Amino acid sequence: MTSPTIDLREALPAEGRRAAADYLIDGAAPQIAQQPRTREEVGKLLASASEAGLAVVPQGSRTSLDLGRPVDRYDIALDMRGLDGIVDYEPADMTVQVQAGMTLRALRSHLAEHGQYLPADPPPGDDVTIGGLLATARPGAWRGHAPAARDLVIGMEVAHPDGSLVRSGGRVVKNVSGYDLHRLHTGALGTLGVILEASFKLVPLPPATRSFAVRRGSVRDAARLATELRDAALPARALTVLAPEAATSLGLPEHAHVLLELAGYESALDAATRRVVDIAESSGVGPEEAPPGAWERLRAVAASPDGAVLRLGIPATRIAASIEAARGLGATAWGHVAAGSVMVHAPSIDVTAVRVLRRNVEAEGGFLVVESGPPALRAVVDPLGSATRALVGALKRQFDPNGTLSPGRWEVGL
Amino acid sequence: MTHEDLIRDLQDALGDAHVLHLPEDLIAYEYDATIERARPDAVVFPGSTADVSAAVRIANTHDVPVVPRGSGTGLAGGAVPVIGGVLVAMTRMRRIVELNAANRIAVVEPGVINLDLQAACEPHGLRYAPDPSSQRICTIGGNVGTNAGGPHTLAHGSTVNHVLGVEVVLADGTATWLGGRQPDVPGPDLRGVFCGSEGTLGIVTQICVALTPLPHEVRTMLAIFDSVEVASEAVSAIISGGVVPVAVEMLDQEIIRIVEPQMHVGYPLDAGAVLLLEVEGLPEAVATDAGRVVAACEAAGARELRVAESAEEREGLWEGRKGGIGAIGASSPNFYILDGVVPRTRLPEVMSQVNALSAEYGFRCANIFHAGDGNLHPNIMFNELDEGATERVLELGGEIMRVCVEAGGSITGEHGIGLEKRTYMEWIFDDDALDAMGRLRLAFGADERFNPCKVLPTGHGCASGHAAEMRQHLAAPGVYI
Repeated sequence: MTSPTIDLREALPAEGRRAAADYLIDGAAPQIAQQPRTREEVGKLLASASEAGLAVVPQGSRTSLDLGRPVDRYDIALDMRGLDGIVDYEPADMTVQVQAGMTLRALRSHLAEHGQYLPADPPPGDDVTIGGLLATARPGAWRGHAPAARDLVIGMEVAHPDGSLVRSGGRVVKNVSGYDLHRLHTGALGTLGVILEASFKLVPLPPATRSFAVRRGSVRDAARLATELRDAALPARALTVLAPEAATSLGLPEHAHVLLELAGYESALDAATRRVVDIAESSGVGPEEAPPGAWERLRAVAASPDGAVLRLGIPATRIAASIEAARGLGATAWGHVAAGSVMVHAPSIDVTAVRVLRRNVEAEGGFLVVESGPPALRAVVDPLGSATRALVGALKRQFDPNGTLSPGRWEVGL
Repeated sequence: MTHEDLIRDLQDALGDAHVLHLPEDLIAYEYDATIERARPDAVVFPGSTADVSAAVRIANTHDVPVVPRGSGTGLAGGAVPVIGGVLVAMTRMRRIVELNAANRIAVVEPGVINLDLQAACEPHGLRYAPDPSSQRICTIGGNVGTNAGGPHTLAHGSTVNHVLGVEVVLADGTATWLGGRQPDVPGPDLRGVFCGSEGTLGIVTQICVALTPLPHEVRTMLAIFDSVEVASEAVSAIISGGVVPVAVEMLDQEIIRIVEPQMHVGYPLDAGAVLLLEVEGLPEAVATDAGRVVAACEAAGARELRVAESAEEREGLWEGRKGGIGAIGASSPNFYILDGVVPRTRLPEVMSQVNALSAEYGFRCANIFHAGDGNLHPNIMFNELDEGATERVLELGGEIMRVCVEAGGSITGEHGIGLEKRTYMEWIFDDDALDAMGRLRLAFGADERFNPCKVLPTGHGCASGHAAEMRQHLAAPGVYI
């Protein structure tokens, strides 16, 4: 006896077949796990799945599959890590065209040879794939200091569920030709198409970086210092307020801290360091060198397997209050000042608490996203605002009319 | 329903004073900074989001198109109401609703003039980074519509990089926010895709923008070269050397000889090309960056380097750049501004081809452009009274766009597709890509309603075939870029 699934499995290249047990999502295994080697294979897989009414969940390094609601159906795991090459890199143009399955780490090491980089530091680390980086659009500590990855995308190729491979943008750093469809796929969690390739505008790798931690008596004092440092227009690449619990997870004493990274020429960093010392000492103790690997550890906390990770988008002036609110729930929290984002890691958190937090954040004009957590939580916390949902629904009907790509991510059936 | 019914409904909703409908009043709204013309059925001046919604609903009832318009400085015919309808002029909605220095955001209505926002930010030590050359007159809403660039796009990015959220009125008349007051709102980046959609997806009624601190120090330099080719080599050398200046602008000999006698800003008349270069940041970093820029220019063969010693000198150098296009208007009866973009490293050969083509066609061509971004603006000078001149200029424009595309570039870097370049879209996008863009328009419910005959080549909202046959429009003297 045959079924659409078995027929499809037989039709896919045998060398790309993978063990379904390695692709669990919320405990469920797909019927097929496939790792295509070419763009065309991705297109064919999607067209066949769409025709057969099967659901495909595109994935890369599988670090951020908790974003959005749990999917309604999961027939096929589409592992994009087989497309992991650099298509074109012109160091003199400072642009790169890269396949979606390459990891940020691999891309970084290629670019570093030419003194360039893509300034993205998403959680949980550099193992994320480029496709995942864009589809999830999770900001890190550099957001607001360096341009975000979404702002550096200059072109993209996407496989649509009907099997077509669609390009937008181009390879030039400034381009307003047609609609920027690549922006639509940024943050879309692979629900409108599967990112195959992306082109980026790059920036020069800073010649040097220095990180400092400054201890303060309270989260409020730390936030105040962070604001002063922000207003000093330093060459900062990251400026983060740590609650005492977050500080200890980085190996710092259990006090509120400001964690600061400066990036630039050594000579400029010397001058900037003097400013940091002056500013910090005028309101308390001066800066100390940050513990080694502090930033990487902070990124990794956001991938803790236990509990829930929330991201709050809030005004900079509400960072201390939001961190304190999260602490009140027994959570570890830290806030990136320039991005206006507060990360919350709660070992256990109930739906009511999340709803209250969300209501408070929304009252300030902000938002709350569950970045990871148990399915029961993610199933009941709206991953989109209600105003946006109608448009996302309309987009879904246009770009994925059969509901092939991660159905249910935005709401049941969507 | 008749034309009179449409006018009466609009007057009832917005008030008589805010609806123009007499032919003599409509003339001024037939065109933007191009010379293509088409008469709207009515021009309305909404004072609020509710007014915009009402106008859109009335247009729906009467089944006529809606075309949004800011200051009308667009260079691609984007605000020309090709098949008539209701032109929604946003100039009355010009309040800065909120300027929140502590959170570094501003919420503005779409009719706010770019430079007015800059001026409001400055006392707080902040700025709104996008600075199109038309910033004295262009509106923030128009900047969103075209995803406007400007000289400082090189380091700071285009408009979309500074817009956190937009309130838009959609085709059904409802208002909704895309994005918000913080970056990285969850879900597909609707804010991002709306920026640069040239009024085809909805009408912006409020914009929340991110503000950035003013730099500690700015250094502006003028590097003088014997030729455009050598100057182009210098551009690549500077940037591949690890410094991304905030601006790298090029002026060729033709434009220098037009600008300098009129504006006296200090460009040497015998130079083959000059580069206007700017670096900013902490004083220590500025010194290092400037040193590297100077070294790269000298190594590439710069004849001379001047550093602006005062704010006045710096402003003078910029004055020449920003007023350059206006100066062309004073020295040629007509000119056609082109906007193409190529990978920066291809600039030397592309510039040679542009100049060779202009010479072949027998037109003077002045180049004043964003070299750091590879964003060309050849300005072809002609007299439309000369027999066949207009047609030949358009043909030359098309050939220059071809050169850009063949060099791996694109057909517009910042002016937009509008009406002007719809037919070129097929040069860079295949059917699947154009179809996907059409689906975006359908998802916004805006296929037939907003700004028909714009952006996409065929079959999207352009009821009649006449737009495709319309004579392409040429920039009128005095316009800015």
